[in-house]
Amino acid sequence: MSPRIINANLVVRLKSFYRERAALFFTVAFPVILVLVFGTIFTKPESLSFDLPVQDNSRSEASTRLIEGLMKDRAFKVTPIPINADPTQYAREHKLNLVLVIPAEAQSLLEQRIAGMNPGIVVPLTYVYDPSSTAVNTKIQLLNMMVAAANQAAVGATPVFTLVPASILQRRYRFIEFFVPGIIAMAIMTSCLSNTLNMNAELRQKGILRKLATTPITRAEWLVSSILYQVILSVVSTAAILIVSFLAFDVRLHLGSWLALIIVAQVIAFVGIGMLLSPFAREAESASAVANAFLFPMMFLSGTFFPVEMMPGFLQAFAKLLPLYYVNEALRASMIFVDGPATLWNAGITVVFATVVFVAGAVRTRWGDEGP
Amino acid sequence: MPDAQHAIVVDQLCKRYGDVLAVDRVSFTVSVGEVFAFVGPNGAGKSSTVEIIETIRRPTSGSVSVLGMDVGASKAEVVRRIGVLPQGFTSFDRLTVRETLWYYAKLFGSRADLDGLMDLTDLRDKANTRFSTLSGGLKQRVGIAAALVNDPEVVFLDEPTTGLDPQARRQVWEVLKGLKARGKTVFLTTHYMEEAELLADTVAIISKGRIVAIDSPARLTETHGNHLRITLKSVGAKVIDVIESMGFSPARVGHETTRISVGSADDVRRILGEVHKAGVSLGGLEVRKPNLEEVFLKLTDGHLDGGAKAGHG
Repeated sequence: MSPRIINANLVVRLKSFYRERAALFFTVAFPVILVLVFGTIFTKPESLSFDLPVQDNSRSEASTRLIEGLMKDRAFKVTPIPINADPTQYAREHKLNLVLVIPAEAQSLLEQRIAGMNPGIVVPLTYVYDPSSTAVNTKIQLLNMMVAAANQAAVGATPVFTLVPASILQRRYRFIEFFVPGIIAMAIMTSCLSNTLNMNAELRQKGILRKLATTPITRAEWLVSSILYQVILSVVSTAAILIVSFLAFDVRLHLGSWLALIIVAQVIAFVGIGMLLSPFAREAESASAVANAFLFPMMFLSGTFFPVEMMPGFLQAFAKLLPLYYVNEALRASMIFVDGPATLWNAGITVVFATVVFVAGAVRTRWGDEGP
Repeated sequence: MPDAQHAIVVDQLCKRYGDVLAVDRVSFTVSVGEVFAFVGPNGAGKSSTVEIIETIRRPTSGSVSVLGMDVGASKAEVVRRIGVLPQGFTSFDRLTVRETLWYYAKLFGSRADLDGLMDLTDLRDKANTRFSTLSGGLKQRVGIAAALVNDPEVVFLDEPTTGLDPQARRQVWEVLKGLKARGKTVFLTTHYMEEAELLADTVAIISKGRIVAIDSPARLTETHGNHLRITLKSVGAKVIDVIESMGFSPARVGHETTRISVGSADDVRRILGEVHKAGVSLGGLEVRKPNLEEVFLKLTDGHLDGGAKAGHG
């Protein structure tokens, strides 16, 4: 194992990388763009309240109090709609998925109820909704809760049960915080697998492998150089993702030695997978096809973009067979939840997997005598 | 056994791919300091033999030693003392010529004189040009320079001029002559007989996995071409009749061109005498010994391609 040879390989690969704009884009810019796009899409609804168009036919003290209740804690952003409009027609025309209608007799009904003349009297609040809208159910549930609270306030009773929050997390985390470790793992996986497959195909196709076979470089030196090269690229892309997510979304994740260990283990694992797959990708064209066939299912099923718990049971079981799942779990355990045992368990599985795959890949990789 | 005179000793070498015996009991030696041309049709077992000597492939049986060392047992040491230009050499696209040579020099750990190498291969003004933008001839010259970074004792050049235009080919030949002048042992694989005839001290012809002839170019043409070849131009049927009546078999090879194989200069004189007597004038006459290419075609059953069933060349 000669440091001189490893260093020469690193220089060659980093220079080639730096001079290839497409590689630069896919390694650094692409994950950063994903963070910006998904961060923007999913951060907005959480910081804003839901819109709730209300047709107040009563315009009384009672309806004003109700509307104030709905706007409490900025749960809803209430916008009035004209009282002469047909609410169903109006909702359809203005593409509203939920419209609340307060009846004209709200004030008088409430007064009769308070006076105790008839305890069966209720104030009917109609909501016109669009059942085809996916977001409407959450709004209806929230509306139910707010109306229940308004009921309580109107009757003047103190609640018997009250909920006290006690999070298992040190602090509340947002979607973007869940998302960033997933993108880090995805970027490292993509770069390791595609680069290993493409490099092998290119070296073989161009006959550079044959030239290298007549120089003193050993397979071990070549593999160690590939891993170091990929670790450098991974550190660069991880840093870019972390800096951009901090600047754009104020994402502050826990960075420590676990992160470094997980990155190195992931690089070794996916360079190893690349070496195992390279016999199936002898030409540059088939290399990207083979890479994509592995990358896409892995990306979507391992909890990169959404939690694995959102998938049906059999897919969850399948996800637990994928190496990227454990990388994602390990990164989130160490960076978001700061959960030592979970980090150790998932990082441990990643390290064991990396060792097995790498040894298998190193044994299978042929250098010289490849047959006709 | 270390052998001071022989740079390469190949003994009873066989290489089998599945059912195909690509190299069949090949034996030869290459002397120190000579240019040895290894020629054969595609698929004759040429590349397999060369790649075994270059330590890239392993033999099925037989032995190969380079500079007195067995290529299988002492691969690491052999590799340090040989330089190889593989067939169809290419390198990292986005590196410059100087960076490419720097890289290969680093692999050998040698403090190669990169400028000197670029001078030898006439690449000095291309030092900072990226490999991908070079022409075929320049790429081959980079490959030759890369094969020299470790100052090797034996240089293998596997089809260095295939696919090059005549001008680029001549430039590569100049570089090869320079190597020879420096006393390097050069193992040249080619299928251009002109190249072998011009550069080689010894030519070995392989066909269907076996060596069919091995000697200096001059002796090869002498041994295997012990006849003269007469070419007559602008001759009619009358001349052919005259020659046929003398017992020779003229062969028409083109419009009004006839070729006759004869045993001696005396036969030439007799034919010309008879033609003169018949009162026919000749448009053109050529008499010469067969060249290496004709010897090669004769020894390899007449084709430059597809000499053997073996799938690999």
